[in-house]
Amino acid sequence: MRFAAEKIMRAAENVFPAHLSHWSRAMTRELAEIPQDPAALVFAIGCLRAAIMLAASRWIATLQYRFANTVTASARSAPIMNRLIDRPRNLGLICAVTAVGLGLAYMTAGGAPENYLLVNVAALILGATAWLAVGRTASARLAESGNAVLALALLLLATAVFGAAADGVSRWVIVGPLSIQVSLIVLPAMIVLYARRADAIGTIGMGIAALALAVQPDRAMAGVLAAGLAAIVVAKRSRLPVLALAIASVAFTVTLIRPDMSPAVPFVDRILYTAFSVHMLAGLAVVTGCVVLILPALSGAACSADQRSMMMAFGASWAGVVAAAALGNYPTPLVGYSGSAVLGYLLSVALLPGAPATVGSNLDETVSAIDPSAEDDITASRIPKLA
Amino acid sequence: MGVTRKRALSSHARALLKNLLDTQGEWRHGYDLAALTGLKSGTLYPLLIRLESQGYLEAEWQPPVARGRPPRHAYRLTAAGVRLARMEAATPEAAASTNAWRNGEAMS
Repeated sequence: MRFAAEKIMRAAENVFPAHLSHWSRAMTRELAEIPQDPAALVFAIGCLRAAIMLAASRWIATLQYRFANTVTASARSAPIMNRLIDRPRNLGLICAVTAVGLGLAYMTAGGAPENYLLVNVAALILGATAWLAVGRTASARLAESGNAVLALALLLLATAVFGAAADGVSRWVIVGPLSIQVSLIVLPAMIVLYARRADAIGTIGMGIAALALAVQPDRAMAGVLAAGLAAIVVAKRSRLPVLALAIASVAFTVTLIRPDMSPAVPFVDRILYTAFSVHMLAGLAVVTGCVVLILPALSGAACSADQRSMMMAFGASWAGVVAAAALGNYPTPLVGYSGSAVLGYLLSVALLPGAPATVGSNLDETVSAIDPSAEDDITASRIPKLA
Repeated sequence: MGVTRKRALSSHARALLKNLLDTQGEWRHGYDLAALTGLKSGTLYPLLIRLESQGYLEAEWQPPVARGRPPRHAYRLTAAGVRLARMEAATPEAAASTNAWRNGEAMS
């Protein structure tokens, strides 16, 4: 047993990040002072666990650091891109206009009804207005993010209970001639809001949202919720998002079990495939439009730790919406006919940072920002370091 | 005030700080701290590393007491660490946390 403990401790020493090697030596020396073999084995296993955790956080930090210094740095070589990367909210608006434009080109080529085009254009104008209004107020009202998440979650639940049903699913609200998919409008914004401030009220909101999506059921948006929360968990490493992710994962599993027999609607669903049968260029327009939606998230690598969680959540959410559209009969965002997606995209973009605080060029700063051992996050800015 | 906290300390950190405060001035070894606080090494060492990097803990290699034994790493609170531990001990959460720790939470 002692032999096994020593072997495990040697493995821990090998795994330990190089800059903390004196700590691994300290652990090894302590092992020699433990008289009982079972206690020594437990101690060694714990040390290996600590070594793996610290090495993993160092590895993730290094990846993020390299990404920030290569991908974004190359994009920054163009002055215009440089300015846009610094302003994800503005970049998001441009991406929305581009994707909707590409979608209009595809729908025109495919012979879509004229009102489809008009709805998307109207949604773009409405969304741009909301982008302007929300963007001005959101950054100043950070403390109310949790309340906003809760309110939107209740709206989702009301849609599940009282909304219009079709083919056994209840996820729409009928407004005049339009069927509005509430989850597509509010959920990405909710996820970004929660990434801004993951408090208890927001976590309750996320739980209610997960319940609503399981009740509707909405497999695609339940998956989007889980993807967005997983991104927040990776970026923030705090307990409440982990709880929210666990609930969202259960809800997503429920939606996978429940039947979702919604048929594909022309110019809305599965257009990532059907657009190519219209014309090669139409297909390329649709694919390009989908890729463009994720671009604002790329500037997240250059953000501070707090802002990075928002950008990652945003990217994961919209990548999730696109993935759902590729895998099942779910609306293809912005390039297909769906005013809800246009509104939802611009709302979530409006909540992104106007001008992110960039991370310093110091790897240790990045490590410190995402180090899981930073659970007890204390700032001692005004305390002289005596050690 | 000299200390600003972004988030509340965990019960594990409180238990560790309390223990280090109780033995103020004395150097402590990792295994002793694990035994006294009930913290497992996988929890204890990341906390020690964090506290040291933030200036709340000082660490030094001490020569072996007995001949033929290796030197050991020892720890004690810095002045800033003492202030933090005292401030934590004075908060209402500290009492609840210490009770939970005494009831075995830290052992789980």
